[in-house]
Amino acid sequence: MIDPLNALIIAAILTAISSWLFWPEKGLFWRWQQARQMTRRVLREDALKHIHDCEYHDRRPTVKSLAGSLRITDNEVSELLSEMQDHELVTFEGDQVKLSLQGRSYALHIIRAHRLWERYLADKTGYPEADWHSKSEHYEHLLTPADAEALANELGHPRYDPHGDPIPTAAGELAAIERLTLSNFPLDQPGRITHLEDEPEAVYAQLVAEGLHPGMSIRVVEVTPQRIVFWANGDEHILAPIIAANISVDTFSVEEAPEPVPHDHLNELKPNESVRVIGISKAIRGAERRRLMDLGILPGTTITAELRSPAGELTAYQVRGALIGLRDEQAALIDIEQGRL
Amino acid sequence: MTNDEILKTAEALRWEVGGDFHESLVENIYTNAAQLADRAISYPDKPPRFDLDRSIDRLVTSRVWGFPIMLLLLMVVFWLTISGANVPSAMLATLFLEIIYPFLKGLAASVGLPWWLDGLLIDGVYLATGWVISVMLPPMAIFFPLFTLLEDFGYLPRVAFNLDNFFKKAGAHGKQALSMSMGFGCNAAGVVATRIIDSPRERLIAIITNNFAMCNGRWPTQILVASIFIGGLVSAQWAGLISALAVVAITLLGVLLSFVVSWGLSRTVLRGEVSTFSLELPPYRPPRIWQTIYTSLIDRTLVVLWRAIIFAIPAGAAIWLVSNITVGGTSLAEYFINWSNPLGILVGLNGVILLAYVVAIPANEIVIPTILMLTTLVLGASGEGTGVMFELDSLKDTEVILRAGGWTLLTAVNLMLFSLIHNPCSTTIYTIYKETGSKRWTLVSAFLPVVMGFAVTFLVAQVWRLLGG
Repeated sequence: MIDPLNALIIAAILTAISSWLFWPEKGLFWRWQQARQMTRRVLREDALKHIHDCEYHDRRPTVKSLAGSLRITDNEVSELLSEMQDHELVTFEGDQVKLSLQGRSYALHIIRAHRLWERYLADKTGYPEADWHSKSEHYEHLLTPADAEALANELGHPRYDPHGDPIPTAAGELAAIERLTLSNFPLDQPGRITHLEDEPEAVYAQLVAEGLHPGMSIRVVEVTPQRIVFWANGDEHILAPIIAANISVDTFSVEEAPEPVPHDHLNELKPNESVRVIGISKAIRGAERRRLMDLGILPGTTITAELRSPAGELTAYQVRGALIGLRDEQAALIDIEQGRL
Repeated sequence: MTNDEILKTAEALRWEVGGDFHESLVENIYTNAAQLADRAISYPDKPPRFDLDRSIDRLVTSRVWGFPIMLLLLMVVFWLTISGANVPSAMLATLFLEIIYPFLKGLAASVGLPWWLDGLLIDGVYLATGWVISVMLPPMAIFFPLFTLLEDFGYLPRVAFNLDNFFKKAGAHGKQALSMSMGFGCNAAGVVATRIIDSPRERLIAIITNNFAMCNGRWPTQILVASIFIGGLVSAQWAGLISALAVVAITLLGVLLSFVVSWGLSRTVLRGEVSTFSLELPPYRPPRIWQTIYTSLIDRTLVVLWRAIIFAIPAGAAIWLVSNITVGGTSLAEYFINWSNPLGILVGLNGVILLAYVVAIPANEIVIPTILMLTTLVLGASGEGTGVMFELDSLKDTEVILRAGGWTLLTAVNLMLFSLIHNPCSTTIYTIYKETGSKRWTLVSAFLPVVMGFAVTFLVAQVWRLLGG
C-alpha cells in the first residue's frame, strides 16, 4: 500500500497541476484555446473595428492608437495594415489609413455581432453587466452574418445594445446619433440617459456601481469644474466631469417620460405601511422585470409590507391581494412614492 | 407621401424611440390593464379568512417561534416516517424473501428450470426487485402524503420564506429547502419537486445538489454500518445514541455540502443562467386529506417506485451474472474486485464496496445485500449466500462477515461518507435528464458527487492513517 503521506503529496500535486491547466478562464488549457482563436483574422477584425470607431468619432486612426488598442507593437501594426491593404480592406491617403467600402461593411458586421451579443447577454442570460463587454469581444469573431441575423431575429430586431449604442442593420447602416454628454448638458432641464460608454472598464464599473442605466430620467442641478451633481430617477449622484463625460444624455424627443421626482425605495417601507408604486428601476431587466410585472408591481399599484423573514433580507408584500416575498436588493430597485397611504 | 417615403420616415423615427421601446410598451399595456381592472372590480369587504391567514403567518414566521415550529414539524414528519415504516418494511421483507422466495425456488425446481435460468430470474431479478420494494415503498408511502399535506395546507412556502436568506448566501432559492426535504424521502422525487423554483439558475442548482439530501434508500446502510462499527465503540447502553448521532452527523454534512456546492455552482458554471426571484405565499386552506393521500400515492410514490423497479430488474440480473459467470474458475465479480481493490484500499474502502456501488447504481437499497454477497464470495465461504444477495437478522453475524472481509472502523466511516457522496441512483439520473432535458447537466449531476466522494474518502483515509499509525 502507498504511504499515506506520499499519497497526499501526490494528490496535492495532481490537483495543483489540473487546476493550473483547467481553472475556469485562467487555466492554461482555456488560455491556449483563446490564443488559438487569436488568429490573424481576429487581429484584422479588431483593427477594422478600431479604425471604424475612430472615423465614427471623427478621430484619426494612427499606428500608435492601433498598437495601443490591439496591444501589439508598432511594427506588427504596419505589417498588419499592409496585409489589410492587400485584402482591400483599407486604403491609404497619404499617411492616413481609411476603410475601403468592403472594409466598412466588414467592420459594421463585427460591430453588429458585438452589440447583438451584448443585447443577448443582457436579455436572455444571467451574466452580470460587467461581463457583457468582455464576453462579446470574444463572440463577435465567431458569429457569421447569418448567425447575427438569426440572433437579431430571436431578440426581436433590437435597435440598441444595452449600453444605448445603435446596432448596425444587416444592410450595413449605422444610425449617426448626435449626443450630448452629461458634462455639457444644460442645467435644470429634464433629460434621459441614452448611452453609457463601456470602455474603459474601470469607468464603466463605476457607472454601474452608481446604479445608472440607459433610459433613466435625469436633471443636472450643479456643475463645477470639480464635480457634477445630478438627479437620476430621484436619487442624487455626484460624479467627476471626466467620468460624467462617459454618459450620453438626450432631451426627450418622441415620448414624454415622467420627470424625475424624489422618491423612496420599496425596501424602506416599514411593516404594515402601504404606498403607491412609481415604477421598477431600469437596473432590473429581462426575465426578472417581466416576473415583477406579472406579479402586478406596476406604476400606481398599492403595495403593503406584511411580514419580515426571521432570517432577514426578505420581506413579504401584499400586492393586489397576493402575498409575495421579495429580497431586499430587489425591493431597493422598486421606486415608491414618498407619502404613505 | 409615397409608400417609400413613409417607410423611410418610419425607419428614421424608429431610431428615435430609444432602446427600451419594447419594454416601455409592455409596461404601459400592463399598467393600462391593471388600471382598467381596478376601475371595473370592486371588493365589497375583505374576506374574514384574510385576518386568520395573517395571524398564522405572524406566528410561523415570527423571530421567536418561526424556527422552533419548523424544526418540530420536520422532526415529526421524519419520526413518523422512520418509525412508521419499520413494521410494514419488515412485513414486506418477510413476504417477499421468506415466503414467496422459497415458494418460487420450489416451483422452479419442480418445473425443472435449468439452474442458470432459475438463478438469473429468481436469485437475481426477483430478489433485487423484492428488496427495493420492501425498503422503499413503506417510507415513501408515509413520507410523501405527510409532506403533501403540509404543502396543501400552505405551510411549506413559509418554510422557504423563513430560510431564504441562508440559501441566498449560497446563491440558491429559499424553495430549495423544500426540494431538499423531499430529497430525504427520495432524490428522484426531490428533483421533480424543483419544478416549484421558477428561476432557471436556482432550479439547476437545486437539481444538481439534491443528491446531497440523503434519501431513504441510504438510511438503512447508514444505520446498519453505524450500529455495528460506531455504536460498537462505546458500551451497549450508549451504542444506540452514538450510532444515531453518527447518522445525524452524516445527514447534516450532506446539508452543508449542498450549500457549499450550491455556492460553487452559482459562481462558476451556472453564472450565465437566468436568475429571478419571487416567492409567493399562497393563502392557507384546510388540507383535502383523502385527495392528497390519493394523489401523492399515485403521482409521487407509485411513479417513483415503478421507475425504481424498472431499474432494479436489470441490476438484479447483472448482480447475479457477475457473481455466477466464471472464467477459468474465477467469477467476473472477483476479477473486478481484485483489479479495483488497490484503489478501494487507497481511499479507505475496498474492491467489494466499489463493485457493490457499480452494480447498485440502479438502487441504493441493495448496496448492503450486495456487499454481503460479494464478501462471502471473495472469502470463498460455501453454503448460504454464494452468488445470492442476502441480509442477516443479527448485527453480530453481519459484523463477523464484514470483519472477515477486512473491514475496519475506517472502512465503516468511509462507507458512510461514500454512501452520502456518490452518484445519484439511475432513477434519479433519468429523472434529472427528463427534468433538465440537458445531457450536460445530467452528466454534471452524476459525476460531480462521485469525484467529490473519492476526494473526501481519500483525504479521510490518508489523514486517518497518518494520525493512527
